[in-house]
Amino acid sequence: MDFSINKETRMIKESVRKYLSRKVNYTTVTDIMSGEDGYSKDIWKDMCQLGWTGLIYDECYGGTNGNFFELFTIFEEIGRVQLPSPLFCSVLVSALLIYEGGDESIKMSTLPHLIRGETIYTSALMDEFGQYDYKWPSLEANQDNDVIVLNGARTMVPYAAIADEIIVCGNLQGKNPTLFRVDPRAAGVSLTLLETLSNEKRYKVDLKNVKLCRSKIIGQIGSGHDYIGSVFDKAIVCKCAEMLGGLEYIVDATVAYAKDRHQFGKPIGSLQAVQHHCATMATYLEGSRMITCQAASMLSEGKRCPKEIAMAKAYISQAYKASTWLSHQIHGGLGFTSEYPIHLYYKHAKVAELEFGSGWFHKQKVASLMGF
Amino acid sequence: MRFEFTPEQEKFREEVKAFLEKELTSGTFEVHCGPLVEGPSREFSRKMAEKGWIGLTWPKKYGGQGRSYVDKFILMEELLKVRAPISYHFAADRQVGPALIKFGSEWQREFFLPRIIKAKGDINFCLLFSEPNAGSDLVSVTTRAEKDGEYYVVNGQKVWTSGGHQAAYGWLLARTSFDEKIPRHAACSEFIFDMKAPGVTVRPIVDMVGRHSFNEVFIDNVRIHQKFLVGSENEGFKQIMAQVDHERAGLERLMQNYPVYQDLIKISCTDPHLKKDPEFYAWVKNAIADIEIEYNVGRLLCYYTAWLIDQGKQPSSQAALTKAFCTQLEQRINDLATQVLGPSSSIKGTPNSKPPLFINDLYESYLWGPSYTLQGGSVEVLKNIVALRGLKMPR
Repeated sequence: MDFSINKETRMIKESVRKYLSRKVNYTTVTDIMSGEDGYSKDIWKDMCQLGWTGLIYDECYGGTNGNFFELFTIFEEIGRVQLPSPLFCSVLVSALLIYEGGDESIKMSTLPHLIRGETIYTSALMDEFGQYDYKWPSLEANQDNDVIVLNGARTMVPYAAIADEIIVCGNLQGKNPTLFRVDPRAAGVSLTLLETLSNEKRYKVDLKNVKLCRSKIIGQIGSGHDYIGSVFDKAIVCKCAEMLGGLEYIVDATVAYAKDRHQFGKPIGSLQAVQHHCATMATYLEGSRMITCQAASMLSEGKRCPKEIAMAKAYISQAYKASTWLSHQIHGGLGFTSEYPIHLYYKHAKVAELEFGSGWFHKQKVASLMGF
Repeated sequence: MRFEFTPEQEKFREEVKAFLEKELTSGTFEVHCGPLVEGPSREFSRKMAEKGWIGLTWPKKYGGQGRSYVDKFILMEELLKVRAPISYHFAADRQVGPALIKFGSEWQREFFLPRIIKAKGDINFCLLFSEPNAGSDLVSVTTRAEKDGEYYVVNGQKVWTSGGHQAAYGWLLARTSFDEKIPRHAACSEFIFDMKAPGVTVRPIVDMVGRHSFNEVFIDNVRIHQKFLVGSENEGFKQIMAQVDHERAGLERLMQNYPVYQDLIKISCTDPHLKKDPEFYAWVKNAIADIEIEYNVGRLLCYYTAWLIDQGKQPSSQAALTKAFCTQLEQRINDLATQVLGPSSSIKGTPNSKPPLFINDLYESYLWGPSYTLQGGSVEVLKNIVALRGLKMPR
């Protein structure tokens, strides 16, 4: 057992944190959220140039062949400051789907642009009910000679409006799941901006007789089963990284507030009830760090770890959410205003809890891996 | 970061497992969920001593193996899985030895450490800390040790003394300064105390499990030679602060009812009766998974604390946080097991008569439950430590 972070990872962590503390504060985030694109083009450019986007990809695609734990660390820092950006949807989920599912020609034609940030991809993985239906996709894909026709609806799709392509999973004439690349500007595609608890722009995507040519199929027809699960594993763990960063901020900010805020002639941090809430939050943080870093570390070593991933997501979903509730208690009225950043984390904790499988789902997974 | 053990550590774990399996099959002990650790068994402690498993982390110059706390936790984890009878040497190994190494005199080290490591002679220690008016508020101890020439004369009363009726020695905290101007935390000292001395009266206290596991100890004009003072006079609390992390951080705070938990999983996976109602069964699966997740979190927190000690840190806040987390989980394991089994889990059962769905020692475990979050520092006190020492919150 070794709980130390190696030098390279620490350097990456420090440089990412330094950059973000210079460029991102609460106003930055709220400005981004109220802007039309939902991300800062300047910061995105920097992120690409600093190598954050290419971290886990091969050099031949413009990546730096780094390791997954380093990417986990970057998402942790991003979660800490709640920076909205297409990093998760484009560089992690979509690029990985292409990387693991696609053949060499599509990888060479899409990944370098994506990693340089010249193109932005997103993936529409949820059906209207919010279910990840990639195992039995509800999206219908019918083949008519060389043309594929897609029909169906997707929801909570991040950054659909600015995406160059949207990756969807369809049920190609009763065969196994197949991934397709859809142009959001194509005929039959309609995007509806949703108001959600997420700090990212999220859309409902309706596909009505959307025509695609066969070249828009990613990889083999019906091969989705082979790799979507593995991409999800990495997505879940990086989501946990965001949550871990958010939880770190919440604990720090709440303790700082409790030391500062005076009532009854003393700091409220001297009151035992407040101290115990903070101790509970600190415990949530330490436990979350252990269980999420375990999954990240094992994935980083290329180990299969379905139980560890499920445990991490289930635990931190509850720990982070509960900590935001306690944070609100301690911050009192001020924390309830839109002037204070606590609400961003409260909302982030909820969205992240529900995405990629909430507690119930992952606990059932743990149970079945225990032999039930 | 690495969350796995080295091949050497895995080999060590297998070695311990093999030893325990042999002891179990030859009937040396049975698996029970009872007090913090089971025993005492001089015999078993001697067998462990022969393997060099007492004083595993102590420096080699004192006869220890000089190994890491992570290694020690591997050993402890396997011992606790089967609730091996280690209480004879437990206190001596866990905290007496480390305290003597850190603060003890040369004479004390030479006398006690080899005896503890070899489990030779009398090495069963009890802890004489709490008093009727000094529990969570330990600085309020009033047991006095008054200097009289080369001796201290001890008068007072201790309570909750686990194993006090069997112990050869007590690890005593007593007041040695009676100057009102000195703050109380700078007025106590630690001693090694002869439990068989005349003037020592040990009176049993029956706990709610119906057992005699702890005691009141009355000390009436007992003379201790000054060579049994540990460390410096009036430095008792400072010294305790260094020792208490070892007391708090261990896996024994997570695994007191480990066999109950494992039986719960086994029964829930295999018993057809529990699967009759699919809705109930779905809840059972989810509830057990919930415990399994937190068990894994607790286990990692324990190993992390061990690792911090190996890095030379004094992880007071981390150890406190870990103990609070783990002991609360232990209670929830008992609670869930009774809910899964239903009303018949209220029945104690005997070897000849048990309900058809039965988990050994669940009945006793449930009665031990309140003590988990109290012994060795209540959850409330531990949270205070996390807040004050860890988060540096104001008093």
